[in-house]
Amino acid sequence: MKIVVYACAVAALVAVHTTVLPYISVWGVKPDIGLVAVCLIGLLSGELEGLVVGLFVGWAMSLFSATDLAASMVAKGSVGFLAGLAGRQVAQVTPLVLVSGLVVASTLSSLMTIWSLKPNDQQDIWWMIRTILMPQACFDAVVGGLCYWLIWSRLNLDRLAEGREF
Amino acid sequence: MRMANFRSSYGARRLALGVFLSVLLGFFLLPHQLQTLFQEIGGPVGWVLSWPIRLVASVQGGIGETWSHYVALQDVEDENRQLRKELELLQGQNSQLREAASATDRLTALLEFKAQALPTMIAAQVIGRDTGNWYRTILLNKGSADGIQADMGVVTSAGVVGRVVKTTMATAVVLLVSDPNNAIAGLIQRTRDEGIVEGTTPGLARLKYIPLLSNVRAGDRVVTSGLVGGFPRGLAIGTITTIGKEEGALFQSAELRPEVDVNRVEEVLVIQSPYVPGEDGKSDGPLPKAKP
Repeated sequence: MKIVVYACAVAALVAVHTTVLPYISVWGVKPDIGLVAVCLIGLLSGELEGLVVGLFVGWAMSLFSATDLAASMVAKGSVGFLAGLAGRQVAQVTPLVLVSGLVVASTLSSLMTIWSLKPNDQQDIWWMIRTILMPQACFDAVVGGLCYWLIWSRLNLDRLAEGREF
Repeated sequence: MRMANFRSSYGARRLALGVFLSVLLGFFLLPHQLQTLFQEIGGPVGWVLSWPIRLVASVQGGIGETWSHYVALQDVEDENRQLRKELELLQGQNSQLREAASATDRLTALLEFKAQALPTMIAAQVIGRDTGNWYRTILLNKGSADGIQADMGVVTSAGVVGRVVKTTMATAVVLLVSDPNNAIAGLIQRTRDEGIVEGTTPGLARLKYIPLLSNVRAGDRVVTSGLVGGFPRGLAIGTITTIGKEEGALFQSAELRPEVDVNRVEEVLVIQSPYVPGEDGKSDGPLPKAKP
């Protein structure tokens, strides 16, 4: 059951990423909701699920992007795995912890992508950090914070999630 | 507030670590093989995932159409008047060009030029954009099952859009001409100087490696040279806006305004097989046809 839920979530994420998010981009940068989802899953469900879902999200997203497949898979998988590890060190996930974690995760993921890229004479590393990495990290943190607020504060799914062990 | 995860068993953690290390090791030791494997498996997976993308894209298209047809109709009258004037002007130019074309036909026949075969093209719709922020790409609704492969050129009636870099069974990713990682062989139409067209970080394009002695100037049109890549000769790429000459440099470069507004493109043609001259000078290209 859980696999079906995750597969549907990934399909929805990819569809939203390719069609809707380009219209809400700020200065040409759009949030990476795949990374936000992987981070939340890793944080709340553990390293294994974070890693597996991260690898799958990275793979699925790279199919519809010019991004290197290996870099995308490793970046998202690492984020899910590290979020799972971090989840065990944190007693309670507060919005501040989540937002800070997302900034770190997005930065790490972008740094991995930059490392795998071969920038040309127009794109030095500082340009990439200034124009893509930093805005995206902020954007991811805001979107993640909003998702957290919406899901656990407004929709009150916390009780449901605790009562339903997969 | 939500309690963080404490439920992972020791076995699950060890398994996760094992999987993570295996994937990392695999991509370091067998990068090409693993990439090919995942890309192969990705074909059918991409086909499945393309359906929700098509669904969302069609809903989005419907909303956009409703908006542009019924809501955003301000200034249409002025625009209509302006277009009528342009149409009259173009009709005049068209008759002149017809005359020039017929003269060219006669001269071509006299010189026994070999007719250049038109390329086979596949029509496709744009259904999305890149999932990341690192590349400027568009996503097409046709893929390897329709005969599209990597490195094929993509155009509209206005000019060059980009080239295919990745395919699944039902989709293709096109790296746009405005992406700094793209490179297309170009030719200045007036001076016949060749160079390489690549995208720029602000989303335009530039022509590199123009000879220093070239008398290129702003307003010159740049077309594909047809020497390398998936494009036949003579497709419009853009118009030169500014020329940059650095002191001591071996070449000059020029900024281009791409002919196609890549942010608004909705339908494209994928060039399946551009004209390739054979050893005897005859065309190896197939007969002209267009797949719907």
